[in-house]
Amino acid sequence: MIKRRSVFVLAVVIAMGVLPLVAQQQPADRVKAIGGKFQCMCGCGQILTQCNHVGCTMSAAMLKNLAEWVNRGDSEATITQAFVQQFGTTVYAEPPKTGYSMIAWAMPAVYFVVGATLVLLVISRWRKRPQAAGVDAAAPVTAAGVKISQEAMERGRAQAARETED
Amino acid sequence: MDVFGSFTLLLAFVCAVYAFVGGIAAIITRHPLLVKSTRQAGIATCVLIFIGTFSLEYLLFSDNFSQAYVVSHSNRDLSAFYKIAALWSGQEGSLLFWSFLLAVYVISVLIAYRHKNGELMPYVGVVLAGVQIFFLTLNNFVESPFKALANVSASGALEPFVRMDGNGLNPLLQYPEMVIHPPNLYSGYTGFTIPFAFALAALLARYPGEKWIHLTRKWTMIAWCFQSIGILLGAHWAYAVLGWGGYWGWDPVENASLLPWLTGTAFLHSVMMQEKRGMMKVWNVWLVFCTFLLCILGTFLTRSGVVSSVHAFANSQIGPWFVGFMLLTLVVCFVAYVKNHDYLKSENQLDSMISRESSFLFNNLLFLVACIAVLSGTLFPVFTEWFTPSRISVGAPFFNKIMIPIGLAILFLTGVGPLLAWRKTSVDSLKRNFTWPLVAGAVSAVLAYLLDYRNAYALVCLFLCGFVFWTIVMEFYRGAKVIAARSGMSMMMSAHELAMRNTRRYGGYVVHFGMVLIFIGLAGAAFNTDVQKTMNLGDSMKLGPYTLVLQSADTKPEKNYTAERMIVEVMKGNKQIMMLYPEKRAFQGRDQANGTMVAIYSTLREDVYVVFAGIDPDTNLPVIHAFLNPLVKWIWLGGVWVVMGTLLALMPNRRAALVIAGATQPAASPVAPALTPSVTLREGHD
Repeated sequence: MIKRRSVFVLAVVIAMGVLPLVAQQQPADRVKAIGGKFQCMCGCGQILTQCNHVGCTMSAAMLKNLAEWVNRGDSEATITQAFVQQFGTTVYAEPPKTGYSMIAWAMPAVYFVVGATLVLLVISRWRKRPQAAGVDAAAPVTAAGVKISQEAMERGRAQAARETED
Repeated sequence: MDVFGSFTLLLAFVCAVYAFVGGIAAIITRHPLLVKSTRQAGIATCVLIFIGTFSLEYLLFSDNFSQAYVVSHSNRDLSAFYKIAALWSGQEGSLLFWSFLLAVYVISVLIAYRHKNGELMPYVGVVLAGVQIFFLTLNNFVESPFKALANVSASGALEPFVRMDGNGLNPLLQYPEMVIHPPNLYSGYTGFTIPFAFALAALLARYPGEKWIHLTRKWTMIAWCFQSIGILLGAHWAYAVLGWGGYWGWDPVENASLLPWLTGTAFLHSVMMQEKRGMMKVWNVWLVFCTFLLCILGTFLTRSGVVSSVHAFANSQIGPWFVGFMLLTLVVCFVAYVKNHDYLKSENQLDSMISRESSFLFNNLLFLVACIAVLSGTLFPVFTEWFTPSRISVGAPFFNKIMIPIGLAILFLTGVGPLLAWRKTSVDSLKRNFTWPLVAGAVSAVLAYLLDYRNAYALVCLFLCGFVFWTIVMEFYRGAKVIAARSGMSMMMSAHELAMRNTRRYGGYVVHFGMVLIFIGLAGAAFNTDVQKTMNLGDSMKLGPYTLVLQSADTKPEKNYTAERMIVEVMKGNKQIMMLYPEKRAFQGRDQANGTMVAIYSTLREDVYVVFAGIDPDTNLPVIHAFLNPLVKWIWLGGVWVVMGTLLALMPNRRAALVIAGATQPAASPVAPALTPSVTLREGHD
């Protein structure tokens, strides 16, 4: 019984968290969301929905068109196509995830994967490296009976000093 | 004065060439007199650059409108404060300012080490002189700030011409932060020249050991600190002046300033690996080289107009010069590395994957990935233009999607790194060290959720902020507890003592704390809302829990501009909070556009950010654009902590000392405590 109640409470909590995220967007929200993916074409370089130039004929007209298309129920792809036809690819605030522009999206992941692979390779290589320590006859003997060279002792002391500094 | 200024810059160029050529000769011949004379030529170069710069400032302050630069960037009514800023508001002056700041660093280095590091300094002098030659070439022969106006007379001859007044300073730059933001950012850019010079010099001279790193550590931190301040001030300027409601738009010039900061931060971390374990010598040298090259790239992007930006203050022909210099620098670095790479043989050895060393490697990986991702995104439009018929823009949404996960991963490592031991961390230690920070992170995330900050990235960010914050608290607590137990000091005093004994380590933690605050502020951006409304007097608008009422409007004439102000009352429920005065400024002088002055009511919880966006052409009524931006203040507070942490890290360590402390004696002690001071050895890490 307790277990069923716990599952129910958990489901309610998850639903409370997730429902607002998946709820259908209102037209005004869609205008904001889609408008955030384009630039104002007046040359200000700002995101369409953030262009703050009052009287900017370009952003006003673009937002008016966008609102009309959203209210008509056009898909995001159709709206994007309409803007690109009108202004060219410079209208994008973010590159489309198709064709040549995919490179822009893929590159950071490629950098990370290549970099992480290199780091892991470096770590595994460095871990395999043997300790370079010569032993001489006059070397002090540790409690475990291992002889350590004077040079290694000095190096060890210097290293201990360095490593305990920070 | 213009001829004088021009002449001093030319003389500075000659001295720099002598310092460079003579320096090479001094390295070859090792003649002490030649070494001394080239060092003095280096100092003379700097002094002459100072004189040249002051000459330009004199022309600006004396309203000498026979000079093209003064006409373009100043006017009679411009306040003295902004006449200083006019120095770097234009292309020519800004490049001279680069030379000026570089000269400040160079003269400091040449004087500070004039009797030290005799083997290394001639090489350092040559590298620094080489960089100075490049900028002095631009100052003298490409973008001279000393150009007199002239008219063509009826006879065809050129006649001097003096304008009655100037065009004035760009209104966007007439804001107090613009007087301090560029000098800070430029101090960061130019400051990285010093570690670069030492790294290249050490490589060329095959200078033994890690000494170049010890010599440049403070210079690197100073440059990094200036760069951080510059970036944050720039963000604050964008927030308060540009009026679009945000502080970071991933504009190419903003990105350009971030690139060397990212590699510089990576260097400040990885350098510890070299100092402590003799590892990553090659990596560190190349990180310094890349940081310097990115500084030059940043200046190039800002000044060449190769990428479109609201900050790209110029569109000129200096691009090829910068590209040439970067290529030349890269070739020199590469040749020096190929010839002397055996000197960089490292003692790379790792005991365990779960160690401080590994965390530094991943930290560097993330900083580098962030840097390359921002760089490639910034230059992607340029590349698309080369390879496709059209230019594809890359704006803020792209960078946000790419950089948020990387930023969160870096924040995660900020917490993890200090919890891991050098060499190897046991599973027990992991459990012991991670439990409470994870609990703190979970508490932060739950609190954020309950406070209605419900966004996946924001919740992860706030979880990590709690996690990192607790690791920092634990570091201070553990150390302070030991000192308190041994010295009898209070925990607060012990924490202070702890920080002073190892300023670099604990300064670093203070910087991390500042970064936590900054990330809290950044998380708030997920919840920004805004309303724009055409308002008549007495109209109101709702903005979250606030009501904004347009009470009245007035016009305020000032010396250099006329401000048209809206007077907006901010109410919360029925309670009046404050009056805000967003304004539009019409500046005097030809060709000057209007400026915006945003009004902000800022609290730790949120900013009410009100912009007088202009007059609606249809209704002739004012348009008010209001934003509710949560947690922004944390970013600026975080910046202050970052600076304080860096300053702490720059301070010398307090040495371990014998102190006489009044011992707390047991009650049964036969002798009075005051008569038996105990000798306590204060433990220091040095």
